[in-house]
Amino acid sequence: MNKAVLEKLRSLGKKITEEIERGESPTFETPLRTKANTIYDEGLGCLRIGDKKETRKFLSMSQAKTFMQTMAIAAKTKKFIEEELHTSIRGLFYQLKFTLGEDIEEDLFSEQSESNALIEDLEVALGIKREDLNLTTDRKGFVAGNMIIKDKFGGEETIIDCSKQGRSGWSIPSDVDNDMEIKKVEANYVLVVEKDALWQRLNEDKFWKKENCILITPKGQSTRGTRRLLRKLADMNLPIYALMDCDAWGWYIYWTIKTGSMNLAYLGRNFAVPEAKFLGVTMSDIEEFPFLKKLTIKAKEVDIKRAEEMLEYPWINKHKEWVKELKLVLKTKQKIEQDALQGERLTFVGEYIKDKIEKKRWLP
Amino acid sequence: MRKDLKRLDKKIRRNKSATKNKADNTNGGYKDGDQMVDLFKDFKEHSIAEFFKKNRQMLGFSGPARSFTVIIHELVTNSLDACEEAGILPEIEVEITQLAEDHFKISVKDNGPGIPEKYIGKALGKMLAGTKFHRYIQQRGQQGIGASGCVMLSYLTTGKNTIAISCFDKVRKEYEIGIDLKRNEPILRKISEQPTEESGLTIISEYKELKYEKSNKGPFEYLRRTALANPHATIKLKEPDGTVSVFPRSITVNPPRPFEIKPHPLGISAHDLLEFCQRYAKDYRKLSSLLQEVFSRVSANKVAELRTIVPDVDFDKNPALVNWEEAEKIVNAFKKVKWIAPSMDALVPIGKEQIEASFKNIFNPEYLVVTERSPKVYRGGIPFMVEAAIAYGGGIAAAGKKGEIMRFANRVPLLFDTSSCAITETIKTIDWNRYNLKNFEEEPIVVLVNFVSVYVPYASTGKLAIAPEEDVMDEIKFAVMEAARGMQRYISGKRKTMELATKKRLVMRYVPQLASDVAFLSGEKKEKIEKKLVEIIESKYSKEVEEEETKEEDNQNEEKESEEEVDVNE
Repeated sequence: MNKAVLEKLRSLGKKITEEIERGESPTFETPLRTKANTIYDEGLGCLRIGDKKETRKFLSMSQAKTFMQTMAIAAKTKKFIEEELHTSIRGLFYQLKFTLGEDIEEDLFSEQSESNALIEDLEVALGIKREDLNLTTDRKGFVAGNMIIKDKFGGEETIIDCSKQGRSGWSIPSDVDNDMEIKKVEANYVLVVEKDALWQRLNEDKFWKKENCILITPKGQSTRGTRRLLRKLADMNLPIYALMDCDAWGWYIYWTIKTGSMNLAYLGRNFAVPEAKFLGVTMSDIEEFPFLKKLTIKAKEVDIKRAEEMLEYPWINKHKEWVKELKLVLKTKQKIEQDALQGERLTFVGEYIKDKIEKKRWLP
Repeated sequence: MRKDLKRLDKKIRRNKSATKNKADNTNGGYKDGDQMVDLFKDFKEHSIAEFFKKNRQMLGFSGPARSFTVIIHELVTNSLDACEEAGILPEIEVEITQLAEDHFKISVKDNGPGIPEKYIGKALGKMLAGTKFHRYIQQRGQQGIGASGCVMLSYLTTGKNTIAISCFDKVRKEYEIGIDLKRNEPILRKISEQPTEESGLTIISEYKELKYEKSNKGPFEYLRRTALANPHATIKLKEPDGTVSVFPRSITVNPPRPFEIKPHPLGISAHDLLEFCQRYAKDYRKLSSLLQEVFSRVSANKVAELRTIVPDVDFDKNPALVNWEEAEKIVNAFKKVKWIAPSMDALVPIGKEQIEASFKNIFNPEYLVVTERSPKVYRGGIPFMVEAAIAYGGGIAAAGKKGEIMRFANRVPLLFDTSSCAITETIKTIDWNRYNLKNFEEEPIVVLVNFVSVYVPYASTGKLAIAPEEDVMDEIKFAVMEAARGMQRYISGKRKTMELATKKRLVMRYVPQLASDVAFLSGEKKEKIEKKLVEIIESKYSKEVEEEETKEEDNQNEEKESEEEVDVNE
């Protein structure tokens, strides 16, 4: 049971009770989660929410309902924590989807989108994450490598050895903090590959065993659980290397891992890995490995647009390597997928990675 | 067309005056008069019945529904006048029985003094025999066709005579009354005679070619409005379907009796002047003395002034010898003289408090504004006054009234000829948006306008519409706008209050859930939190009402002033 989170919820209730006692309209203060209030923190190396705050009042026509709904979520999740039960955000929505009274034709919540947004408000206002409120998200992402995990779940403790998960790997849960402990990691670095297919390739090749690394795939965009796990591994001084497609999605996935995303900027440093390095695939690889020349694809409009946008972001354009890379994309209007690395030989990927790391040929 | 009717109207009036003043009518030689005497001869030769048949619509008896209301109007007006004249609080019972599809029996009973035998025939069985013609006095009707017109219509449509029961001087006498159509003379047959403690007159007559309608123009609405404008009267109605409605009086004092005033020189036409000359020829030897005595505000000095304006008119001649040209010249000269305004004290409005009492009694509206305005003058010499009231919601909504205009002239409801009436025309020009009444036609609202004057400028002989005199229309507009402003203040205040109540209700419905969640979070008692939250909401929303209302008032006052300016400019 997360006592600190319980205390935060209790304090929130206490503050509101005091306001009511004083005869004031109860208020709820939450940082603004707008684009304008999203800033890149040079010191932290990631995106975070700025100082602008919004005070929601119960005695306001436009905010009364939201206010009540926010407290309903707070109270309900407090109950989850006390009962040591977890549910998804959809499960929470159904817990709160009921009519406000016998003769009132209005539900506390009628759309899940309402409760989703308010969960984020609570997270940022209380400086906690939804997993702390016993709210789970879908799992996605797999691990193989010399890592031992202690998982306390449903009243039982299980020891998981990520090196003994065969072809499937250990599936990263939505919460890697509460009742979850990394007992032991014996590795030189962490390798994140965008696609499951490539993860399976490297697993079959015993790459992680040979290289003594932790092999992770987020299977596309990283879940919160995956990002937290990466953060924790980075905190253990393991270098984090990423191998992505050389296209809009690949870059987006990488930068989300590294600095966080605009949408989830409120998550801040606990979910960001500024230390991460981008191994590839890069435009210069095409020059390096002639066989790749034939394997490029014409960049789509979304890729071009994305590249242009990235050149605008200060946390990206401060790296001259990235500016060069992105300009090359805009010039050649080509992109290349990581799968292309298997174009000549299936086992080429491993060599490519080793070479890149050895020669420190990555993008920051 | 209307001009024709007007001319005919004049002829009838003239004819009637001729009848009345037979003795002193020395056949003063003016052209118009000659024509009228001829016309009157025509009546005699071709029978008055034929004239009546041909010109029924001129007297208001046109169409089966309209005729019905006009009959009720004529009989009830007679009753009200009789009661008031005798100082009795009117109590009038109207009973309508349907005998066949278009065949009805109408009984109107009052508690007036009754009519002595000597006059009953004349009162009910002789056309144009009333006593109301051309006096400068505020009165309900202005012609004497009333009850005898009904008697004739009854005879013409059913061939039956009218039953009249007069309880006068402790004797109850029942008569059968007809009209000798050839001679325009009453035929009176007494049926019974017996002592009684009661007083009053009951007239029972049958009609065909009628249609009973429960519309805004039917007898029910006519009587309801009559009751509204006559809060001292109690009126009962039994309808053909057996429904009995009672409109009880809301005040127990008769209105003061209006008194006759001398006409003001600016209020008369050449035609009027000639008539006065004819009528009073035997009383005054000289035109100059007649002018000074018969009209108000005419002094010897003013006559001297007139002499210099029209030197070719002999003001010393016998009034009976004044001809049309001279009359015209004198009336034109009147317009060049500066006169003192006519006396206004002859006007008897219903009264602000009386209208309020009456509306509450009959409709019980949610809100009511009645204006109180000073008398004005039209055509430079005829005093008049406009009373306006706007009633909103409550009983008005319950009665199904929407954007309804109730027109009255000297307390008489005007139900027909809506489009040609100065009241309707004026109200049409009002932009209700300015008064927060976007959908005037759809709002539960009634606008009452009572035109009070010693002489009502009717637009036609049917006497159900007021002619669009400019001064009159202006005054109607100001009166209605004044009331509308009062209504606007109420409605916007009410909307604000409703909005706040809605807001409060919305927030209130979230209180139990919020209280329970906050209690769970903080560990405090739910009841305590809920009670305190309700208190906060109560005080916040009541405070807002007060604040906003004060603000509102201030804005209104500013608006009112600027609007007044606009009115003047218009």
